[in-house]
Amino acid sequence: MADDGRPDAALGLEGVPHTGEAVTPEGLMVEPSAEDFDHARPAPRHPEWYKEAVFYEVLVRAFADSNGDGIGDLRGLADKLDYLSWLGVDCLWLPPFYASPLRDGGYDISDYRAVLPEFGTVEDFVYLLDQAHRRNIRIITDLVLNHTSDAHPWFQASREDPDGPYGDFYVWSDTDQHYTDARIIFTDTETSNWTFDPVRGQFYWHRFFSHQPDLNYDNPAVQDAMLDVLRFWLDLGIDGFRLDAVPYLYEREGSNCENLPETHAFLKRCRKVVDDEYPGRVLLAEANQWPQDVVHYFGEPSTGGDECHMAFHFPLMPRIFMAVRRESRFPISEILAQTPPIPSGCTWGIFLRNHDELTLEMVTDEERDYMWAEYATDPRMKANIGIRRRLAPLLDNDRNQQELFTALLLSLPGSPVLYYGDEIGMGDNIWLGDRDGVRTPMQWTPDRNAGFSRCDPNRIYLPAISDPVYGFQSVNVEAQLNSSSSLLHWTRRMLQVRAKHPAFGLGTFVELGSSNPSVLAYQRRWITPDGNEDLVICVNNMSRFPQPVELDLSDHEGSIPVELTGEVPFPRIGQLPYLLTLPGHGFYWFSIIATESGEAP
Amino acid sequence: MTRLAPTELINELAGPLADWLPKQRWFAGKDREIRAVRPVRATELVGDADPGLVHAVLAVEQDGGGRTGAEDLYQVLVGRTQRLPEHLAGTEIGTVAGETCYSAVHDGDLGTTLLDLIAADRDVAGVRFRPEPDAQLYPGLRSRPAGVEQSNTSLIFGHRYILKLYRRLHPGPSRDLELHRALHRVGCQHIAAPLGSIDCELRGEPVVLGVLQEYLSNAVDGWAMANTSVRDLMAEGDLHADEVGGDFAAEAYRLGEAVAAVHEDLRRALGGEEGDRDRLDAAVDRMHRRLDRVLVAVPELAPYEPALRRAFDAVRSVPLPLRLQQIHGDLHLGQVMRTNTAWVLIDFEGEPAAEVAERSTLRSPLRDIAGMLRSIDYAAHQILVGDEVPHQLEVRAAEWTERNRRAFCDGYAAAGVDPREKATLLRALELDKAVYEVGYEHANRPEWLAVPLAAVARMTAGEECA
Ligand SMILES: Nc1ncnc2c1ncn2[C@@H]1O[C@H](COP(=O)(O)OP(=O)(O)O)[C@@H](O)[C@H]1O
Repeated sequence: MADDGRPDAALGLEGVPHTGEAVTPEGLMVEPSAEDFDHARPAPRHPEWYKEAVFYEVLVRAFADSNGDGIGDLRGLADKLDYLSWLGVDCLWLPPFYASPLRDGGYDISDYRAVLPEFGTVEDFVYLLDQAHRRNIRIITDLVLNHTSDAHPWFQASREDPDGPYGDFYVWSDTDQHYTDARIIFTDTETSNWTFDPVRGQFYWHRFFSHQPDLNYDNPAVQDAMLDVLRFWLDLGIDGFRLDAVPYLYEREGSNCENLPETHAFLKRCRKVVDDEYPGRVLLAEANQWPQDVVHYFGEPSTGGDECHMAFHFPLMPRIFMAVRRESRFPISEILAQTPPIPSGCTWGIFLRNHDELTLEMVTDEERDYMWAEYATDPRMKANIGIRRRLAPLLDNDRNQQELFTALLLSLPGSPVLYYGDEIGMGDNIWLGDRDGVRTPMQWTPDRNAGFSRCDPNRIYLPAISDPVYGFQSVNVEAQLNSSSSLLHWTRRMLQVRAKHPAFGLGTFVELGSSNPSVLAYQRRWITPDGNEDLVICVNNMSRFPQPVELDLSDHEGSIPVELTGEVPFPRIGQLPYLLTLPGHGFYWFSIIATESGEAP
Repeated sequence: MTRLAPTELINELAGPLADWLPKQRWFAGKDREIRAVRPVRATELVGDADPGLVHAVLAVEQDGGGRTGAEDLYQVLVGRTQRLPEHLAGTEIGTVAGETCYSAVHDGDLGTTLLDLIAADRDVAGVRFRPEPDAQLYPGLRSRPAGVEQSNTSLIFGHRYILKLYRRLHPGPSRDLELHRALHRVGCQHIAAPLGSIDCELRGEPVVLGVLQEYLSNAVDGWAMANTSVRDLMAEGDLHADEVGGDFAAEAYRLGEAVAAVHEDLRRALGGEEGDRDRLDAAVDRMHRRLDRVLVAVPELAPYEPALRRAFDAVRSVPLPLRLQQIHGDLHLGQVMRTNTAWVLIDFEGEPAAEVAERSTLRSPLRDIAGMLRSIDYAAHQILVGDEVPHQLEVRAAEWTERNRRAFCDGYAAAGVDPREKATLLRALELDKAVYEVGYEHANRPEWLAVPLAAVARMTAGEECA
């Protein structure tokens, strides 16, 4: 790999600042510093913004190509900020855009302080961030703490010079018989968590692919180096990080090497850097585990949480799908009932779809079989242990169901994460390998390359969807902007409604039971600092058939429910159970307005 | 203002009560004339306020029913007021000494009194209100009557408690309360926690007047859950039960697990014994006797008689020992509720057809399983009620039943013993239950008769040629 022996040779970063471009007399690599770049203007102050924000996951590669090379880039994304601002999203989540050999979708980082050249430069990122902040949009990105690419200069130095300053940056051993209780995560490609390195003549530890050696967090120098990586991006102005694969930072003999106390201690250090030096920025934990285990990544409840501000709620998503298929609210009710309370400064991130497959790790075997049978009719739709499909095709392109799912996403407890393209009902391409089927170019217009790039169609990184139902000729932003009844306009209206009611982001959640198992009803309630109550009641019909429901709203006797999308007042709540009828897959959001008795609101 | 003493009040109210009682859903003797209504006891629960509240046990003497001078005991709660609020107008019983008397279970504020008395562990002139030893009660909640009134009246307090007031009283211990207490003692997760009770003595025997339990506020009964799935199936005539989205099998499986856990807890709490050949023979004799009775009333059952008798007699030679214990006794989809975390069994009063004393004898847990399997069959075959049914839907219904009874038994087996290992006994119990249903539907809901008859036909098919 490193033919000329320089540790940075494999990076392809000639001409841009990068790690290892020079080496100090002590043998330390020179790394780019935030002072070398302009900084983005700060986002408007709003300490707990992440609790009320709507997130939007966007792949830089897939959104917009500014230079016509067939690959989306940071400048292209910056050009589309007006669209995202119009749509009403508050924060973009960008999967990794660091320098990388791209053997694991960019999660194999070869330089934490450089941008993947095909996406642009650090300067381009600062420009994007500055333009986003101007529009009150924040940006977070993935950061992989656990491991680097084997192309990272640190690893190259570590394997070549065991006694040098990087010799102890990774987990080396003469034997592959340590930590044998740790499971192998990628069982289809890896046979061991240890791989022998012929250069150093030792085994190195890796929880993921063998080309992703784990960093050695027992080495204080590694901890400091990674905290400096955080500082580098935070100094440039980034609003936070999604911390990838956090449970695996440390290894201890006799344990499964997950969720160790030392890992939590390091996360507390990361959090302290954010709190002391960069207040208002967030850490989001990615730990694909059950909620009762994930809550530990929020940290100490008595402090309001001293590790991550947010964590993804993984099992909710498959259960939303299951609930609608079974026409029963219980899959959702049950997982929410099993979700423990979280510290006051924290919130869940919830999603319907993202760039990975529909993860079925968080369901039982029996449920997994069920989901596969229901949602993945072609074997190619099944990936490792998930389903690779976008929302619209998962729901047979049924508009009512897409609206119901989105309404659930926007009203259940947690901050919603939308996936790019789902707002226009984009399709997927199950014939593309790996998970690429859900990573095709954003469909902007009916023109060449869906308006994504002006390149020759042969050069585009993945073909735009062109089938008769989901193809860019019919499904695209331009067409939907011109039709006020489009899914795009509907989605925007829902985000506007949500933004007006802090109860969605901040409020308590109480399920309102009913004797109809197909109807999921709940109350979101928030008392504003000035003592006003924001009370929203959401009623969702999981069935494709119309359903009646009687709700016990006796706590709100005398109040008037006002439907939120049309502001239509409904009959006053009386002594008797409140009767509603919902169309198949229908839903209502009501604001409950307390009125002086007898007065119209 | 001086008020009539409680006993006097009820005496004065006897006439209006005789008119009012037959209109109540829970009143058992609707078809027989009432000869007399007397207070057996009457207690003032709220005296010096308006409205006042009187608790009364009535002896109701009626004609006929084969019994002369038959007397049944009923519990009523009477509110009395100078001015009945408009929303309570429909609950009026009559007017006595210038006060309007009404059924107090509809008055949310008077309901509070009952809860408060239980929380305060009070004895009011022999009516004893007691919390369970480990119950932490929040008094002061208003009550509302539960939607459907069956044989009893239930009051719901906020989202927390439900107080079941027995209407027709049977002196002696309450099986429902005792089994709930026993199960709660061993930490059973599949019941509503018992929180308190109301009792008194009648004719020298204790009698339970009401039980307070945890209210399962987010729960749905099993019948509604199953119907949701069946509805889906019937809308997709061309899909099989395991293909439609609204599959119930996962729920049936968990229900099986829950029932097995309750059986296990009942055995741990109250023990069991081994049944011998005599017990078995007695049970088989009872099956035959029931069949005799139903055959007289329902000639449509006759073609299946030989197969039914053979199925019953086969039980005489099943291998011993037979495990006997306390069971639920009346298990069906309407007696289980799906909460957000588990299936819960309610109402342990026991088999309604049996005499009260007989309900507490130890029985095979297979009886409960047979009851649930019959209920699953009912859920699928409701479509047989009424109009002509397309053959395809009948096939789908049979598939649904098969799939969900298998799932239920699998779930039971995972947490207990596989009931299918005792196939002969299980089959006989199911058929016995179906025979009971044939008799019941024939007498009460003739349009439903097709459901159990079809089940008997299906379960005995192939028998004839054997
Ligand atoms: N603990 C409880 N929580 C919620 N609902 C209950 C509870 N117990 C009973 N119910 C509801 O009340 C209905 C009647 O209850 P049950 O105990 O069977 O009384 P009954 O003897 O009058 O039939 C049940 O079908 C159920 O819907």
